[in-house]
Amino acid sequence: MLILTTFLTSCSTVSKLDIFKTEVERAPLNLPNPETPKLEEIKWVIITSENAEEVFAKLKEQGKDPVLFGLSDDDYQLLSKNFAQIRAYMIKQGATLDQYRKYYESEETKPAKTE
Amino acid sequence: MFSSIKIAMVLIMLAGAGGGFMYVKTLKSDLATSEANNAKLLDSVSEQQAVIEQQQKDFTAILEANKELEEKNRVLAKEFAALDERFNKINGKGEVRDIGKLAEERSKSVERVINNATKKAMRCVEIAMGSPLTEKEKNATKKSEINTECPSLANPNYIPY
Repeated sequence: MLILTTFLTSCSTVSKLDIFKTEVERAPLNLPNPETPKLEEIKWVIITSENAEEVFAKLKEQGKDPVLFGLSDDDYQLLSKNFAQIRAYMIKQGATLDQYRKYYESEETKPAKTE
Repeated sequence: MFSSIKIAMVLIMLAGAGGGFMYVKTLKSDLATSEANNAKLLDSVSEQQAVIEQQQKDFTAILEANKELEEKNRVLAKEFAALDERFNKINGKGEVRDIGKLAEERSKSVERVINNATKKAMRCVEIAMGSPLTEKEKNATKKSEINTECPSLANPNYIPY
């Protein structure tokens, strides 16, 4: 009886449960760069007390409204500097984005997969 | 009497053999566990090694990225200072350039100069937004060929002299 019980309990059909984890790589964002617009060309007109009449006459001749939106020489300098600041900021943003892409997306800096 | 001693001896011997067998079995099982532990430790060491190597790689990449950004900032600051200098350049007589006065005296030529500079500045913005460089821009090496508003961006082969 004892032998029979021993044999029966040894023949379990429940197999050992294995739990394992598999790392699933996060899908890359891969956002495309925004399209680069072609900027329109603008033309500055210098107007002084000497050439004012000539400038307005020329505007009329070209079929444009005889009106100009003006800046003083100091303000022109400030506008140029502001423009340069904006441009520099855009360049820095672009460079930062490139570095992020290089760090997180390039094959050489990606961590090696462990089995 | 004699036979019961014999039986006792046999039982003692059997018990000794059984104990020995159990002892060896336990030793074997301990050895197998130790071997498995060793293998796991070795695996863990190599995994740790890989993590340390990756950390070192990351650290180097971060340093490199910071260095490149710092260099870019330095170049941009230099270009911005150059723009400021252009407006406030000191002439041969030791006077600071007055763009307003110049524009009053030579309105046509100053108009031409600022329109050209604006065109170049616009191109710089286009490049900053991702527009590809033209062959002319790429091959510019002389001062007369470059985009003076942003040479570091528009003319990668230009070396200031």
